[in-house]
Amino acid sequence: MEPLTFDMILVMAMIGLAIFLFIVEWVRVDVVAILMMVTLPLLHLVTPKEAFVGLSSNAVVSIIAVIIIGAGMDRTGMINKLVAPVLRIAGNSSSRIIIAISVTVAVISSFMQNIGAAALFLPAIQRISKMQKIPLSRLLMPIGFSAILGGTITLVGCSPLILLNDLLAPFNLEPFGLFDVTPIGLVLVFSGITCFVLFGRFILPQGDPMDGGESESSSSSTSPDHPQPDADQTEFYELRTPDDFTDYRDPVFVEDLRRRYLLNVVAITEPPDFKVISPMPDVEVRSGIDLAVCGLKKDALRMASVEGMHLKDNLEVYKDSLSAQTAGSVEVVVGPRSAFSGKSLKEINFQDRYHVTPLSVYRQEETYRAHIGDIVIQVGDVIELYGTWKRLTVLHKEGGLLFSLPSDAEEMRPEKTLWAGFWLVTALVMIMGFKIQLSVALMTGALGMILTKVLSIDEAYQSVDWRTIFLLAGLIPLGIATEKTGAAAWIAHSILSVIGDVSPIVLLTVIGILSTMFTLVISNVGATVLLVPLVVNMAIAAHTDPRMAALVVGLATSNSFMLPTHQVNALYMGPGHYRTVDFIKAGALVSVVFLVVMIAMISLVYGI
Amino acid sequence: MTIITISRGSFSMGKIVAEKVAQKLNYDLISREVLLDASSRFNVPEMKLEKAIHDAPGILERYRHGKQSYVAYIRSALVERVIGGNVVYHGLAGHLLLKGIPHVLKVRINADLERRAAIVMERDQIPAPDARSRIMEDDKQRRKWTHSLYDHDPWDTSLYDLTICIDKLSIENAVDYICQAADTEGFKSSKKSIQKAKDMSVACHVKASLVEEFPNISVTCEYGNVLIYMKGKDQVTGKLSKKLNHIRESIDDIHHLETHAGTEPPPDAV
Repeated sequence: MEPLTFDMILVMAMIGLAIFLFIVEWVRVDVVAILMMVTLPLLHLVTPKEAFVGLSSNAVVSIIAVIIIGAGMDRTGMINKLVAPVLRIAGNSSSRIIIAISVTVAVISSFMQNIGAAALFLPAIQRISKMQKIPLSRLLMPIGFSAILGGTITLVGCSPLILLNDLLAPFNLEPFGLFDVTPIGLVLVFSGITCFVLFGRFILPQGDPMDGGESESSSSSTSPDHPQPDADQTEFYELRTPDDFTDYRDPVFVEDLRRRYLLNVVAITEPPDFKVISPMPDVEVRSGIDLAVCGLKKDALRMASVEGMHLKDNLEVYKDSLSAQTAGSVEVVVGPRSAFSGKSLKEINFQDRYHVTPLSVYRQEETYRAHIGDIVIQVGDVIELYGTWKRLTVLHKEGGLLFSLPSDAEEMRPEKTLWAGFWLVTALVMIMGFKIQLSVALMTGALGMILTKVLSIDEAYQSVDWRTIFLLAGLIPLGIATEKTGAAAWIAHSILSVIGDVSPIVLLTVIGILSTMFTLVISNVGATVLLVPLVVNMAIAAHTDPRMAALVVGLATSNSFMLPTHQVNALYMGPGHYRTVDFIKAGALVSVVFLVVMIAMISLVYGI
Repeated sequence: MTIITISRGSFSMGKIVAEKVAQKLNYDLISREVLLDASSRFNVPEMKLEKAIHDAPGILERYRHGKQSYVAYIRSALVERVIGGNVVYHGLAGHLLLKGIPHVLKVRINADLERRAAIVMERDQIPAPDARSRIMEDDKQRRKWTHSLYDHDPWDTSLYDLTICIDKLSIENAVDYICQAADTEGFKSSKKSIQKAKDMSVACHVKASLVEEFPNISVTCEYGNVLIYMKGKDQVTGKLSKKLNHIRESIDDIHHLETHAGTEPPPDAV
């Protein structure tokens, strides 16, 4: 074993720093990657050229192309159209629905980013849940897990697998083919779905079937015509202010009523007699006017009593303006890369910009109703919005929010479906038939979609998630430095000297567990870049196939089910009203099954 | 229904002024009673509470948050005491502990150092330099305490509605000015200001119930809607959840209770 050098210590310190920053999240993960990209050449651990080699790597270009191809398929609406025939096949049985949707999501996820597939299907799953009266919590987790597992079906299914060949290159190891992982991936998807079909009732929160797919604290797509039967649910009430309302008090504004009584004014009369739907927070509540509010009955009663208003038995003045045909409330999920993410509701200003009223925010087991203006919106948050359908459709078109409304509002190009399919197949044929490099073949498919106007070049640029690109490109030099300085070999030998001689199966299992643990706390890309050089060195020293060791890392970094840290789990947590303990319960079983199946399949397919 | 707080340095004759004001307006006079209330309500020795409100926290105490808890107990007891109005409080830090209630008249009584030293010399039979240094040391402790907990200087006149120096002005003059100020419209209670005081009482009660185990939380209350602000990415743990359920059941005036993690608390949060 080589002696420990100063450069090795520096590299290990940088790895430690990266892991620390990944865990504490003082800065975003992609910023950590850029920090590595810049610091490593400054410390002379890599050359300036090596520092930025990630940006032009096969993996990064492949990811850009996969994202563009996925966006193209999304634009044609072909994925949404898949839902209807899939449902017809599945019938009414919830198990069959879970299987059918999960398989579809997994197959789509094998050719596009997991989070993209998950986001694409969310509105459809919400509609299915409502139509079939299956609690959303019973559908979302199996389907979300399938989206993650689907990423293991092909080499372009998830970022770690796309990276794998680039990380193997410095060791002169034979790269993997596009479908080399397919048998393993398919069995992983099958076993994941089987877990939920067999043990779903024990590991999934059951929800209330009477909710028609919604759990206790939400009310999706409700209208004043269909008040909720539960006393704890929001309803619409109409009140009238007395003629002397403004005579003996300080001015009262719409925002005051929300803050004081947690009631959202959804309609108010402005002088002389204008009915304003979703009024601005600074609209004054005047004497002798009617207002409609949305909230709990106890709060409406409290407001009527304290402010001296008359609470009407039914909607009267606003019966027509707030009818189900005109207006209603919907739950929207903040989608990945949404422009609303990172902004407070006050900054977004839904009332002014879109004339819709945010009623509540649901995040990680908590429903927020008070001072929601200050809440900074995150991906996966569920916002309940009220407005006219016309206004809600305008907001829907804006993008960034996943509506459970039918997707007609989005601008689709169904006439381009054939072109999109053609270019996807072309890319696959180039990879499989002509053995053309992954990045070149996929970029050809992406370019083809742009030239045939499946999507415009600007839409293609907008679809690329630069966070993922820089995360990948920034961490690649860290992998190079680990290998170049001999730090990877040193750590590998040290670990092996501690654990002694082990059989290849045991070694691969240990690597699988290690990768699973890493991916739960740091990003899957980070875990792959840090672990691949290490495990390849370990495998060489232990006389095990180094390609298999790398493959275990590439696959096991998708074994991220036990915590809602994976992007897909984070996205589905809000709408599914899951608690962390739900992920621990179901994720623990799926993770163990994943490890066992993965090792068994690797030994079966590759004969370890 | 006015509330008057009289803040003063030691031996500045603030106590006599407070007594005379209470007598003239027929208001209740409170000071140490607040410590007794807090001591019995939260089961903490009165000595510890007194030390907490008098001495600035040491370096270790800043991390142990013990003093923060005691101050929260005292604040809760004080707000509860003054909520009915018509009261003069001349204990420590009243102007800071009751910040946020609109109908509080905040008065500061200062006195010339030589006059203060003369009182100490006479009372304790010590030479002038010792008396002066004792007063200055006491003032220093006050300054440190207010700085460490509220980031204010107690001698900053902008913290008060009325600052009176007992030197050329007599005690009687001071009492007259205070009574006159208490009668002005701005310090009379209204429905809104009484609601604010009630809300603050609820917020202080919630904070006092949680502060020992969760020292970093901030609490606001508006019309009975309680918001608990937690720092960073803190989550509502099982322990906090249980505590919150207990609070919901034990405090009648709470209509709604929510926890917001990672949101900056407003400046008026307790």
